[in-house]
Amino acid sequence: MSIVQLNHVRKVYDTKVAVADLSVAIEPGTMFGLLGPNGSGKTSTIRMMIGITVPDSGSVSLFKEPFARRLLGQVGYLPEERGLYKKMKVIDQLVFLGRLHYVPAALAEKRARDWCERLQISEALPKKTEDLSKGMQQKIQFIATLLHDPALIIMDEPFSGLDPVNALLLMDTLLDLRRQGRTVIFSTHRMDQVEKLCDNIALIHNGHLVLSGSMGEIKSSYPRNRVHISFEGDDSFLTHPAVESVKRYPGQADIKLRPSATLADDAQSLLAQAISRARILRFEVIEPTLEEIFIEKVQQTAPDEERLESATSPAVDSLAKPEGSCLNA
Amino acid sequence: MPRLGAVSMRNVWLIAHREYVERIRTRGFIITTVLIPLIMGGLLFGGAFLGSTTSQESHIAIVSSDTQLILDLQTELQRRQLQQQETAADPQHPSTASQQNKPPAIIVDAVDPGPGTRARLDADLASGDLDGYLWITPATTPGARPSFVFTPRSANRSSLKNTLAAALGTVLIREQLAHQGVVASDADTMLQPVVIAGSQRAAQPDRASAEISVSVLFFVMYMVIMLYGMNVARSIIEEKTSRIFEVMLATVRPEAMMAGKIIGVGSVGLTQVGIWLAALLAFAGASVAVHFGGDSLHVALTAAQVVFFFVYFILGYLFYASIAAALGAMTNSEQELQQLNMFLMIPLMVCFVLLGPLINTPDSTLARVLALFPPFTPLLMYLRVSLGQPRPWEVALSLVLTSASIGVIVWITSRIYRIGVLMYGKRPNLPEIIRWLKYS
Repeated sequence: MSIVQLNHVRKVYDTKVAVADLSVAIEPGTMFGLLGPNGSGKTSTIRMMIGITVPDSGSVSLFKEPFARRLLGQVGYLPEERGLYKKMKVIDQLVFLGRLHYVPAALAEKRARDWCERLQISEALPKKTEDLSKGMQQKIQFIATLLHDPALIIMDEPFSGLDPVNALLLMDTLLDLRRQGRTVIFSTHRMDQVEKLCDNIALIHNGHLVLSGSMGEIKSSYPRNRVHISFEGDDSFLTHPAVESVKRYPGQADIKLRPSATLADDAQSLLAQAISRARILRFEVIEPTLEEIFIEKVQQTAPDEERLESATSPAVDSLAKPEGSCLNA
Repeated sequence: MPRLGAVSMRNVWLIAHREYVERIRTRGFIITTVLIPLIMGGLLFGGAFLGSTTSQESHIAIVSSDTQLILDLQTELQRRQLQQQETAADPQHPSTASQQNKPPAIIVDAVDPGPGTRARLDADLASGDLDGYLWITPATTPGARPSFVFTPRSANRSSLKNTLAAALGTVLIREQLAHQGVVASDADTMLQPVVIAGSQRAAQPDRASAEISVSVLFFVMYMVIMLYGMNVARSIIEEKTSRIFEVMLATVRPEAMMAGKIIGVGSVGLTQVGIWLAALLAFAGASVAVHFGGDSLHVALTAAQVVFFFVYFILGYLFYASIAAALGAMTNSEQELQQLNMFLMIPLMVCFVLLGPLINTPDSTLARVLALFPPFTPLLMYLRVSLGQPRPWEVALSLVLTSASIGVIVWITSRIYRIGVLMYGKRPNLPEIIRWLKYS
């Protein structure tokens, strides 16, 4: 039974449809990724999960019950835009936010100190929030989300604006929390981040669900038709008949193979030709990345609705790697 | 759900407590608490002090060959001086002396007219040693009055000239009377100025002090309500821009947030007013007479006036802070707020303008009607309670009407608040706000 369930929810702001008929179910004890480009409706969806906004139609249930505010006591929420009192001392702020969640002051302070130690920002505790760097403020907000030891953690873009080291630190923390049996839901527009982290995902675009399911199932439902190759020397093997398209980088190429019943053999034949012409440093046959799947899916759905919108949408454009040049073989 | 009610009260208290502690710690609070009374006191006392020093002492010369006339004039001026001081010290007429300027002490030099006299006196005038000189030219025909020319140092010493003219008049009349054979003591009786003793009502022994005390508190109420009302709006905008609302709303009901904010900010205002009032009463308790140029004015407040001050202050604050909360929730920046804050300022300013006309007629029909209009009630009813004699039912009705309208405003505001705080971007127009009210 699901810990969070959205049933045909719909939210319209003025004339913009933020979320259109979205149904998602999230299982307890899993790490769930809500993916989509900027402006796809992720934040609107999350806000409806925690009752900050109410869906125009459809229903939300939390912990197997219809949404009620008292259920939020077990939810930790990290908003997309960080919200902290600028003039307040960090420790006072954390204790205040903990007490709002019914954590006794002394316990809230102890937890705040423990978490700060774990996230390596103990030195920030006596400072005013406005004196901290953005990344540090984000970690403080992250801690504020967890002070009342919630069973369900909902985070909107938790890693945005963090350097790789700190992003990794928070990812590890989330994985730990999931191992302890908590449910973690987070949204991101960085699809490469979730491949390693999530058990289940939902991909949304323009308020519509494009794809959902377990990470493993989604990946394995796609053929291993991608080849990553690193090489030195002649690149004429890229004209091999099995190659459909190539993204060429210095010393590397990402190849998409033509659909075929004998993909594995095609890949072997490509490898043989490559070895005969160049020095191969790496050759890897894989499923398409989430990003590729997403682009493919969006292009498929485009003809039946909102073709114009998605064709001109800057959000979709930004998904294409700007540094990659596309060659047709 | 009684439990929910109890739960949100706890959060209201937590939020109010945070707001209070954070605000009271700021340097701004300490500065305004100390500075505002200093500035107000400085204005009141400074003005009185300046007024009392400028007319302290005058030095004039009288040029005449008639030494008897100069002597008489000197005596007359001294007598007048003494008389005025007696009147001022007389507790029966506390306000008479304060209305007009304290009579200047006048030092008179007798000068014989000579060839270089005028030049020497002009030089003294220029150097500031002399405030003016009176040149008396004896009459050419016997029995006629001599002619008098007064040359002041600066044109604004007209009071000096008036004092001299009055004194001269008396001297000349006395001289005439003596010529007619009237005995000097009879002449004094005839020339004694008539003093009308004012009889005060027993209920208000000290009307002038009461008016000033009430006006000061009226101004404090006006200022604190406006200041802290704007503080509520401003801090809501600040929380909106820093997106704290999202974190808070995931735990707390918007109504609880709004209530906590209004109560927290209001408690700061109440603390500040409390400090001022305590200081004022301590000041009065130590019976340090406040001297206004010879007149003594003291803090004239009864316990009932203080209680009513706080009652109407709290009602007024709640009324205007709730409106301010709605304004804050509807806007996204201080600039936008400034376009809307007339809703807050205009009714308060109207009250302030009405202070002048109503302070002397607190029981007029105009005052009675206006004081029952909820936006005006806090300030005007306070004025009536303090200086007039409102009927008990009027006081009760004003409390009921204001409380009821606060209830309505809070209801409307909490709805605007609930939706407005999460709205970024453009300011809502009226139809949108009405739609918000229907949305629950």
